[in-house]
Amino acid sequence: MAKSNITSSSTAEYFAKNLQQVGFSSPTKAVLTTLKEAIDNSLDACEEAGIAPNLNVVVAKVGKGSARNTDLIEVVVEDNGPGLEQADLAKVFGEYLASSKFGRGRASRGQQGIGISAATTWAQLTNAAGVQVRSKTKKMRKAIEAQVDVDIKGNKGLLKNKQVVDWDVSHGTRVSFKIDGRVQLNGDGGLLTYLEGTTLVNPHLELHYKLMENDEVHIPRVTSEVPKVPAATLPHPHTMKLGEFITHSGIYGNMTFQKFLKTSFSRVTDGTIKDFVKNGLPKELLNKNLNQIKDVNYKKAFQAIQDTPLPNPSTRSVLTVGEEALSKSILRIGEVDFFSVVTRNPKICDHKPVVIEVALARFLDRGNEEGPIQLLRFANRVPLQFDKGACAVTKAIESVNWRAYGLSQSKNSLPSGPYVFAVSVVSPFIKFKNASKETIDASDELVEEIRLAVMRAGQKLSRHIKRENKAADLERKIKHIEQFGPILVETLARITGAPESRKAKAISGLEKILGRDSRAAEKDLDEADLKLKKLKQRMHERGIGSFTGLDEDERVIEEAVEIEDGEDSQVLETTAAPSGSKKKSKVISKPLAKKKVKKTTKKKAAKVIKPSRSKIKKKSTVKKSAEKKAVRKKK
Amino acid sequence: MAKSEMIRVRKMTKDISKEAKIICDRMLKDLEVAKRPRLQAVKCALDNSIYNSKVGYLTPGDKKVTTELNVSSVQKMARMTFLLEILLRNIEIGNVNTKREVYYLAKGLIKSSKLLRPLDFDDQNESDATIDFIGDLLEVYREELNCFANDRGGQTYSQQLVVTETMSDGTTATIDLSMLGTSPFQPKNRPQSLKLRAKKKIEFCLVVESEGTANTLVANGMTKRYNCIVMGAQGVPSNAVRAWTKSIQEQIKVPIFFFGDLDAYTIQNIYRTLKARSAASLIRNSDFSAPDVNFLGVLPEDVKKYDLDCYDVRENDGKDARSLKKAKDALKNDPFFKDKKNKKLAQTLDWLIREKKRCEQQALYSVDPRDPQICEKIIVDKIRTGRFI
Repeated sequence: MAKSNITSSSTAEYFAKNLQQVGFSSPTKAVLTTLKEAIDNSLDACEEAGIAPNLNVVVAKVGKGSARNTDLIEVVVEDNGPGLEQADLAKVFGEYLASSKFGRGRASRGQQGIGISAATTWAQLTNAAGVQVRSKTKKMRKAIEAQVDVDIKGNKGLLKNKQVVDWDVSHGTRVSFKIDGRVQLNGDGGLLTYLEGTTLVNPHLELHYKLMENDEVHIPRVTSEVPKVPAATLPHPHTMKLGEFITHSGIYGNMTFQKFLKTSFSRVTDGTIKDFVKNGLPKELLNKNLNQIKDVNYKKAFQAIQDTPLPNPSTRSVLTVGEEALSKSILRIGEVDFFSVVTRNPKICDHKPVVIEVALARFLDRGNEEGPIQLLRFANRVPLQFDKGACAVTKAIESVNWRAYGLSQSKNSLPSGPYVFAVSVVSPFIKFKNASKETIDASDELVEEIRLAVMRAGQKLSRHIKRENKAADLERKIKHIEQFGPILVETLARITGAPESRKAKAISGLEKILGRDSRAAEKDLDEADLKLKKLKQRMHERGIGSFTGLDEDERVIEEAVEIEDGEDSQVLETTAAPSGSKKKSKVISKPLAKKKVKKTTKKKAAKVIKPSRSKIKKKSTVKKSAEKKAVRKKK
Repeated sequence: MAKSEMIRVRKMTKDISKEAKIICDRMLKDLEVAKRPRLQAVKCALDNSIYNSKVGYLTPGDKKVTTELNVSSVQKMARMTFLLEILLRNIEIGNVNTKREVYYLAKGLIKSSKLLRPLDFDDQNESDATIDFIGDLLEVYREELNCFANDRGGQTYSQQLVVTETMSDGTTATIDLSMLGTSPFQPKNRPQSLKLRAKKKIEFCLVVESEGTANTLVANGMTKRYNCIVMGAQGVPSNAVRAWTKSIQEQIKVPIFFFGDLDAYTIQNIYRTLKARSAASLIRNSDFSAPDVNFLGVLPEDVKKYDLDCYDVRENDGKDARSLKKAKDALKNDPFFKDKKNKKLAQTLDWLIREKKRCEQQALYSVDPRDPQICEKIIVDKIRTGRFI
């Protein structure tokens, strides 16, 4: 017999040769992926230990890269997590598929234990040194510092240059990768976009970062509540294949089939077992020991189970950021004009629990009317930055008719305008299209669920846009008066041969008529304002913001209106608060309140109604018209 | 140039210039006292349409549309007075313009004046609509405002028909259609100035929806074999085609047949417009419709008899779906289709809605692909055996 040429390779060997599959396909992506993996690990570790994460990130160019056209980039991530024991360092950073989360069905960021080892491999391949790690747990007096390399042949982590060092933190981990790469800060695949996204969906994260020569940035946390990643639930029989079902029974071994069904699956009860029997499960199997059941009978039982309708799997295994936290978090990533957030109830899509959260915002300092919106996609709170077109999130957004909500949109494409759409998909079983987890597979059910969420957020957003349209309408009407009135009178006078005196009289009559109309339009606008403000008030009461970006003056009007509305109940006197912060309220007595109300309403409304249009895009025209009107009145 | 009697479409006692000035004066007076001027025009819509088969065309009911000056209507009124001034000047000097000419004339004036620039029209539809509004307001035809459409459709062939046209200077020209060879006679946009005469008794007049099919029938010798008139409508018949058909109906007194596709659009938009005009032009239907026209087909019974090739109307296609919906609405609300006299036509429309099929007029050629005259033979057979609506 000829000598076999077939050899086996280790997992590390496979990934070392195929790093492009896990996000190291170019020098630019390598830097991003390294940073991403390090931050994901830190956040997961902090959350597991119930610690509010505090991360320090530094990305700097420290020399020339070994490959052509690359720089030597240092990526440093330091966290205040629980730290790692010495024994775990090599496993975590140097061994593939060594994970505390593999196959557990939890909605954590990391799942398989590939990413951080791949980053170590990349550092090792491009700079001949793996990752430099420093770690300290609560129990340690001093920190351990070591270089971790990957033993590529054996898929093992190797500790090198181990030493004990002083570190003035009670616990934490610091990793430093020196890799070949190139730094891209902005754009879809940029480091800033990644950090921005991570900040948005992790309101409990406090982040310090310094990227290249830019100034150091500090983003404080907006909540100290650490999200609890729900425990994994038992598998649902409808999510399994026959082979998995039989293997699953092997784990339980010595027990009856009935007990196996009841204790090792979710949603199986005595009642459902009766239904299984009705649908063809041989009754005698129920009391047989698992070891005595033949594969043929497993198949019969499995088929009966698949034919029996069962309640959907539990949705308790998913976690949400929550509308309140998202509302606060969104203010951290830029100057928001207005926004809306939506957290859907957990749903079952493709037999898997999933929850969709959406934040739509318009920023004052980014984007333009013509360009497409900025889309931030998240899977289990990890930003997805590549291969946007094939993603379920993109497909869902493109399928919505955004023109109905007041946004412009070309057919089958993303809407345009200075908006940021952030869509987060959380599920213990997200179906990615590739190992580098850049795109969520677009199944019909998932796309529909995302679609419903973005539409709901779009409805909220459209109220703001409608208000703006009313403002634009007012502006248009005033413009019409000024433009068409004189032409109408001139032509009528020419056709009838009327003298100048009649013409002058007609012009003054026209101004009176159309002045009334513009006042009516202003009233319409005020009503639209009022409706919008009531919505905001309701959101405030529920503890979620669908907005904020009103300026000081608008806020005052809002208060005046609110006070007027509440005259016959308890009256709140509210003081203007800076953007994003909560208003201080106090209850005051009724008679006094009424006095204050009248005073406030008259004084403030007079002061404010015109400036409140300052948000209108073409505000100057409106202002001019108002001034002209005032001059006319004086005359 | 002196005002010409030749361009008169109908006998009218109304002095358009005077009426227009009265309206403008009233508007100015209202403005002087800060009162909103109001303009009242006939409501040209289906809900104000009356159809009496004895009259033969849609006539207006009592409903009026009132336009009151406000911020939304100020543009419409300014445009209206602006175009009215141009039209009145035309009437005064006896000048005539097409709708397109008026559009460009207005555009030139607007572009050259900073004050007038806000009036600018995005496209010709906007200026056309304003001209129609003026017509409705004064209750006169657009043609009576000396504004005509471009000549379109109505190419006519006959070996027996002789047309005498009276020109604007009063001279006449006589055209014997048999002398034109294969060229058609193109009726002008003022067919009322044409006098018709038949050299021999004419058996029928055939109006074909497709101009190309009319050409083919003539090229294959139909007008030589039969004493007839063949006319191509070129889709929805223009004012000129309708008035020309009416002239044939009234002056030659021959039976007229319309031949077109079997689909809702043809029945509703092409045939109905030729026979009874439309709700959008209620005030001028009397002179621009030919109520005696019969619908020759294609009919559902022809589809069955000749096994004609049909194809499906797709409900998921936007255009087809709109057409089906429009047909359903017509059966419910259109007085023309609700009239007993047009019951068979309504039944045909209903058949189309139910079957969701359509059949092209050219399908007749497939009945015998080896016979180039097959279409003509079927048409004549249908006319002679009375298989029409």
